[in-house]
Amino acid sequence: MNRDVLVKLNYLLLALLLIGASFIIRHAESPERLIQGEWIEKEWRLEKDNASVVEESQMQSRLKKEILQNVEDLHFGIWIFEEDGILKSTSSKHNDAIEWFIKGRGHVLELRRDGRTIESFQIQKISKTTLVLHLNFDLQVKGIIEIVLEKKEQSDQYAKKI
Amino acid sequence: MLRKYSNHRTQSDNVKLGALTAFSAGMVNVASVTVFFAFTSNITGYYAVLAQEISKGNWYQGAVVLLWVTLFFLGSFLSNFVIIQGKGRWNQYISHAIPVMLEFLSILFVGIYLEAFYQNTLKETEILVGALLFAMGLQNGLTASISNSAVKTTHLTGLTTDLAILVSMFSKHENRHNKTLVDKFHLLLIIMVTYVAGGLFGGIGYLYLENGIFYLTCAILLIIALYDFYKIGRIRRIFEKRKREVVMQIR
Repeated sequence: MNRDVLVKLNYLLLALLLIGASFIIRHAESPERLIQGEWIEKEWRLEKDNASVVEESQMQSRLKKEILQNVEDLHFGIWIFEEDGILKSTSSKHNDAIEWFIKGRGHVLELRRDGRTIESFQIQKISKTTLVLHLNFDLQVKGIIEIVLEKKEQSDQYAKKI
Repeated sequence: MLRKYSNHRTQSDNVKLGALTAFSAGMVNVASVTVFFAFTSNITGYYAVLAQEISKGNWYQGAVVLLWVTLFFLGSFLSNFVIIQGKGRWNQYISHAIPVMLEFLSILFVGIYLEAFYQNTLKETEILVGALLFAMGLQNGLTASISNSAVKTTHLTGLTTDLAILVSMFSKHENRHNKTLVDKFHLLLIIMVTYVAGGLFGGIGYLYLENGIFYLTCAILLIIALYDFYKIGRIRRIFEKRKREVVMQIR
């Protein structure tokens, strides 16, 4: 093929990549929209070596308490991401709100209180029904904590079905 | 630093350009990770992330990464485009300074936007990281283009490989006295050290200056762009002074 044509094809490809990526960003479901709503904590998984089941469950409850000491409201297991950027729990006792932000390419959930970052999670998976968060903690324990949440409507539908 | 091209450049020209641009790239990269949780000079990593997001079916995140990589590409393309198209049309220094000024404007835009308008939304994050990647593309394209690929300020994978090759070359006695190899080693080492120093400065500086760190990067870029302007002016003044002295002697 003629070199001049190939060069023009290069420019066309570049333009297509830019337009295509912008189109997907504009029309695909953004993590910022997907996360809005009520989520129920379904599971806490700890990736850790050398621990028996009993040890692990004790470890998990201790870790959960220590890790989420700044976000007490979330101990109750219900995370409500409001449209105005506030994160609440159904049984919230605190007046000072926790703000939520999605950062990076939509892969980081940052929680702030009084403008100060209190926790940030890696969004491992986000869909209309499931939210999986990873937390790298700096405690003297090796591993990652995986928090699995399910959209409330989804959970209610399942309960009704049963 | 900017007015010379390819083989006409001295080791000192490359060291000054490499050190200052790598320092600013390191600063921008760490500041961006702190503010946006996204790297701005890690294109190799983004190719891996792009593949990973697509394989997981995360089309939105994949498209964001694709847009960022394309903007870096566009920055490098534009840099070299201005340099080669400017040849013969205007002064060489001007063609080399235009990409630096475009980079300056991109980073200034990010600094001003963060200061005055930023609402912490994902859309804004994507656009601002895109602007920084475009700026880094401009910078990498410029330095690589005018130095005959001797200076690449954000390409740390290649730099680490080249440094490792040189260190192994120095295991042979005769290579330790090879000026070309020693000069290359010094240049790469300086780029690596200043990139890390820029990152440290960016991280610590952000604690005190916050978004002001982007203005500081702009100041460094202004030094790069205006250094030769000052030098050309100085040479011109010396030349005119000598010319006057010669005329006086003739009279």
